[in-house]
Amino acid sequence: MSAIPGNKGGAAAPHVELRRVTKRYGVVTAINDLTLTVEKGSFTALLGPSGCGKSTLLRMIAGLERISAGQCFLDGVDVTDVAPAKRRIAMVFQSYALYPHMTTRQNIAFSLSLAGASRKEQDERTHEVARILQLEDYLDRRPAELSGGQRQRVAIGRALVRHPEVFLFDEPLSNLDAKLRVQMRLELAKLHATLHATMIYVTHDQTEAMTLADKIVVLDRGRVAQVGSPLELYNRPANKFVAAFIGSPSMNFLPVGLTAVEGGIATVALPGGRTARVRVGGAPAKAVATAELGVRPEHLSLVVADDANAALRGEVAIVEHLGNLTLLYVDTPAGQVIVEGPGNVSVRSGDTVGLSLREANARLFGADGASL
Amino acid sequence: MLKSKRAEYFAAAVLMAPFVVIYGVLFVYPTIKMVELSFTNAPLIGPGKWVGLDNYWRLATERLFPTAVWNTIYFVLLSALPSTLLALVVALGVNRLKGWAQSVALAAFFLPYILPVSVVYRIWDWMFDANFGIAQYAIAPLDGGQHLSVFRTIPLFMPMVAVVTIWWLLGFNVLLFVSGLRNISTEIYEAAELDGASRWAQFKRITWPLIWPVTVLVLTIQLILQFKIFDQVYLFTQGGYRVDSTMVMVQYIYREAFQLNKGGLAASASVVLFVLIAVMSVLQFQLLRARAQR
Amino acid sequence: MTDTALVSDAPPPAARPLVRLRQLDLFGAVVTLATLAGAVVWAFPLYWGLVTTFKPETEIVQPGVHLWPQNFTFENYAHVLMQTKIGLWYVNSLVTSGAVTVIVVVMAAAAGYAISQLEFPGRRVFWAMILASFMVPIPALIVNHFVLMSQFGWINTLQGVVAPQLIAPVTVIIYKQFFDSVPKDFREAAVMDGANDFQLLFRIYLPMNWGITTALAIITFIGAWNLFLWPFLAVSSEEKLNVAVGITQVHDAFGVQYGRDLAVAMLAALPVAIVYLIFQRRVTQAIMLSAGIKG
Repeated sequence: MSAIPGNKGGAAAPHVELRRVTKRYGVVTAINDLTLTVEKGSFTALLGPSGCGKSTLLRMIAGLERISAGQCFLDGVDVTDVAPAKRRIAMVFQSYALYPHMTTRQNIAFSLSLAGASRKEQDERTHEVARILQLEDYLDRRPAELSGGQRQRVAIGRALVRHPEVFLFDEPLSNLDAKLRVQMRLELAKLHATLHATMIYVTHDQTEAMTLADKIVVLDRGRVAQVGSPLELYNRPANKFVAAFIGSPSMNFLPVGLTAVEGGIATVALPGGRTARVRVGGAPAKAVATAELGVRPEHLSLVVADDANAALRGEVAIVEHLGNLTLLYVDTPAGQVIVEGPGNVSVRSGDTVGLSLREANARLFGADGASL
Repeated sequence: MLKSKRAEYFAAAVLMAPFVVIYGVLFVYPTIKMVELSFTNAPLIGPGKWVGLDNYWRLATERLFPTAVWNTIYFVLLSALPSTLLALVVALGVNRLKGWAQSVALAAFFLPYILPVSVVYRIWDWMFDANFGIAQYAIAPLDGGQHLSVFRTIPLFMPMVAVVTIWWLLGFNVLLFVSGLRNISTEIYEAAELDGASRWAQFKRITWPLIWPVTVLVLTIQLILQFKIFDQVYLFTQGGYRVDSTMVMVQYIYREAFQLNKGGLAASASVVLFVLIAVMSVLQFQLLRARAQR
Repeated sequence: MTDTALVSDAPPPAARPLVRLRQLDLFGAVVTLATLAGAVVWAFPLYWGLVTTFKPETEIVQPGVHLWPQNFTFENYAHVLMQTKIGLWYVNSLVTSGAVTVIVVVMAAAAGYAISQLEFPGRRVFWAMILASFMVPIPALIVNHFVLMSQFGWINTLQGVVAPQLIAPVTVIIYKQFFDSVPKDFREAAVMDGANDFQLLFRIYLPMNWGITTALAIITFIGAWNLFLWPFLAVSSEEKLNVAVGITQVHDAFGVQYGRDLAVAMLAALPVAIVYLIFQRRVTQAIMLSAGIKG
């Protein structure tokens, strides 16, 4: 693998840096005053719902979109006005954009042939890439004769052959079926492990982001909602948007009254009369009287209706058996909440149950959505 | 996309250059010159004097040009509409055929279209030859047993040229109709069948409304094309006499410019033809646009 | 509806149409026969012209209809190949049609690409100009084309035959439409790979639309090969004629010799007929495209 340069140390030097960038399309602002740093050798996922600006951001790094305001740095060099081909960046497109009239070999070697590389060098590098991606048997086929997974690999190969410093992926797995997607996900992870190259990966699929990335940037309407490792985002979401976006099924939000804050612990009154004690960061504003308590379905558990530990009581509306676990939709005074129970739960819809919550995992959000 | 404006302009300039040169020299310039020439009494080659609208006045008052305009319109009527309707009938028939039978039938109707006009002329001149033409077996009984030189009989001339033209160009129309018919899903017919629609009702309620836009397209293409009639008329009157009575517009331009050396007059006739066809093309373009928007 | 059909024992609903289908078959058979008969009638003049060329002149002028020669002969072909300049006309047609095809396709692809993919001042003006020239009747320009060619000293030369045929707005329009519909991912991927606009055109856009190029090239070639009016005007010497015009000059040389007249016509038709039979699908595609139907 030594033929492919990359930063093996994994040092945290900034490799790609966006400084206060803004992208406007006419009156629409797609990206608003955004600052972002991507470390050398890291695998960074840009995650968010469609329309959040994640693809625009990627295309700005690639040089495919002009930056309306702000700057883009690669290795400390300002590349804001540098043409895409001069950035030593490679991109894998969602549609793959494999040239239909070229064979796998020609597709992979295209950039080398444009650069005027000798036939020998083209051959050597194409074969090297084909070996890494197990494409050796398909070199003389055209894209139409390849399966979805093979096309995906050719698209990656086309990026790989250029020995780029940064790889950009624009929803690369979204055209594959579920099974293939899992397989390609593993191959991408392996690829990153062997190349140690900087990879930036756009996706709307939180599973892909959580499993592949060592850093996730959650975007919401053109702004960064939170940056952090997968577990940070899961355990300590900075705001309601991130809390709701990460995790499946989605986090439950219960309207609560704030009764006391003391020593980093807030006491809240739950609908239905019970109270709960939740850890809060710093010192929340005294004025906050109402808040929302965020509890993930996996942090609620079923107890008998009159259990003393039941924070909530309610009637089971729907039961979904998924085999390894069971999802229950329970109508409570706080609205319908989703509870994740073990696979062998025997409650049926119509039953009244109690729900206990793991206070250590609950999060409190203020009216503005920020985590308290 | 990020790219330098200069590189983009340079690429555009290089790529547009052949087009700009060719269109400037061979289209824009001759068109302007044509209008200019039409106001002079110049010969084909050489300078002339400005005569204002004299040429146009002559076109309107002399007998020959109005005859040529009328003959052209007469020919367009004889060829454009019949060839459109016949093509629709043929396409409906061909569309029913399957597999190789369809390919062979389509090729039979289409093959004449790709032939040079002079070959078409040779074939039909032989078919109708006054002495030995095979068509005389059909014509002679109608003419009291006498062989008839159809292309030398003035009332028959335009209709006969129209017949030959229809034979020559029908395949083009058939092709457009067949592709239009193929675009109508068979499910619509099956649904109509289940609703108990008769064959005629199916044609009237499904086929015709859906094929109508193609019919308009074919008809306008034919109208514009046939207005430019010259080759067939010229070839069939070649070596003949009384050319004047079967004169068409392009032939008039040809005669004035290349036989009588009256460049100015020929140019003014060209301008008239130009305007007529431009008007029809604008109509066709609007129709195409309307179709595209649907 | 499907539920009832699954459980019902009633006769299938197709029963009534089935009866009608049998009636329709008769109707259909009549239509099919009529169509095939029409195809035969349509092909007959071509066949009759062809078969006549294989008959000796004495047999041609015999009364009676003989669908096949009694004495099959190539004498007519041998004679016209020896005694006329058809060989030279073939070369002239090939050279002029080939030149027209190459220039038109390259020019149209380049202009179509620029108008479709590049931003430059005057882009809209050029596009409007192309659409406008679509409606210009080329026969109306013969007088001034002749004047222009004589100013160039190109009358009675092959380049004089070629030049006025290069106005091909439809080809530019078709290329622009096809380049418009190439997904922009291909362009961006190639740009990231370091391609400039010329490489984009010749290595991505043109090869990706290779079928269209073939179709347009074939139809342009056939059109140039068949063109009558302009070569007829522009050329005065027998040595510079193309085939389509040349064969009309044979008549005068022989007097009435039906077999030879037709043989030379068949030779003129042969190349385009072969091109059509080989590239049928492309020819029909090109015709649809030029009529404004994207197929």
